[in-house]
Amino acid sequence: MSSVRSFEAGDVDAVADLFQRLLRKSAQPPSDDLKTYLRTLFIDFPAAEPDLRSRVHVRADGSVSGFLGVLPVEMEFEGRRLKAANCGTFACDDRDGDPFAGARLLRDVLSGPQDLSFTETSNDVSTDMWRTTRATVLGPYSLEWLRVIRPSAFALEAAAGRLSALRLLSPMTRPIDALFCRRGEKQSWSHYAPLAGKADAFVIDAVSDTEFAHLCRQFVRHFPLRPAWETPMLETMLGHATRKALHGERIQHAVKTRSGKAIGLYLYYGDPGGIGRTVQIMAEPGQEAIVIDCLIRNAHARGLVGIRGRTQPALLQAMIGKKCAFLHTSSTIVHSRNPALLEALTSGRAFLNGLAGEGWTRLIGDRFG
Amino acid sequence: MSDETKAAIRTFIVENFLFGDNSHPLPADLSLIDNDLVDSTGILELVGFLEERFGVQVADADIVPANLDTIERIAGFITRKQAA
Repeated sequence: MSSVRSFEAGDVDAVADLFQRLLRKSAQPPSDDLKTYLRTLFIDFPAAEPDLRSRVHVRADGSVSGFLGVLPVEMEFEGRRLKAANCGTFACDDRDGDPFAGARLLRDVLSGPQDLSFTETSNDVSTDMWRTTRATVLGPYSLEWLRVIRPSAFALEAAAGRLSALRLLSPMTRPIDALFCRRGEKQSWSHYAPLAGKADAFVIDAVSDTEFAHLCRQFVRHFPLRPAWETPMLETMLGHATRKALHGERIQHAVKTRSGKAIGLYLYYGDPGGIGRTVQIMAEPGQEAIVIDCLIRNAHARGLVGIRGRTQPALLQAMIGKKCAFLHTSSTIVHSRNPALLEALTSGRAFLNGLAGEGWTRLIGDRFG
Repeated sequence: MSDETKAAIRTFIVENFLFGDNSHPLPADLSLIDNDLVDSTGILELVGFLEERFGVQVADADIVPANLDTIERIAGFITRKQAA
């Protein structure tokens, strides 16, 4: 009889194989680097709790056919500490073996002792499964914002995601994009040129993990439902986020007044000529628009052709007028039996996604050697 | 197991997995898995229906084809659960 049980060190090889085949869509065998990382993240992680573990689905013959990765997150709501399960990595083998493996894994995890379960990376199939468990899809947290900076180079780079040889054409895009930006128009959704504005009064400052962690704790306190981050935990997470080889160079900045007071921060990855990926934007309430301006200016100055990231309700408001496009690639979904928590989540008073999600792990955006 | 139980299960499957198409013969021994009528998502809907309609608690370990692959097996599973 098949069963669901906690993920153990002996399962790492099988889970790495599932991850490689089903999530990375690769025919290459999983590397030792990936195996080590899965163990580091899902077994040895400092926040690990014995009653909140990742789960595997095991066939009758003992082989592993499914995995649901759980990262315990300590959260805080109106002064009370909560346990949350961040359930991001979800992979089940083909339906020939046991077509109900995914359903059993999800039900098993959601019936755990946590106050709240969530994912920010749910694809359409997983979303349907979560919905049947009476989970709630959070629309304002489930959109990707996208700011096009150089339109023709952006289009080429987007296409090169499928056919990398197209990048050879990139020199041809420069005069076209230069023409766009010389037209003297105001900001347009199709291209970006830095204009004078409030952001001129602020400076950006590359900051250490320690300072960044300190600022994250400062800015997250405005959310009634939020991660109860301690600085060492955040530093550990930022250590994981050091490298995302598939996304480009890491840029970790604080936005400060000229007198040195921080009003916000951002963390993104991107190389000149590429499309940047933002993991986190945070700000003092009301300052989000300035921080977003500073982020887009920095991406433009570094030669990126576009930049994208995940929305949160406060950021959505601030992006009005920034000529961003919005699209959906994966969903943020929450499950809780506590109506007060659900109300905080559906009304946009919770801090989710990015560092309060999976965005900081190497599983998103890094290459495993 | 009662015909009433089978009929209720059949109605649920027709409404939710066949989109109301009553022309499907759907015999009681038809494999819902082999005929692509139910997958991991569908099974969670079916389990939710069984728990609510028949007042039984379906454990994670119960969610296996041996219990839920045909109308006949589902009805037998409900009967066993209600008797337990």
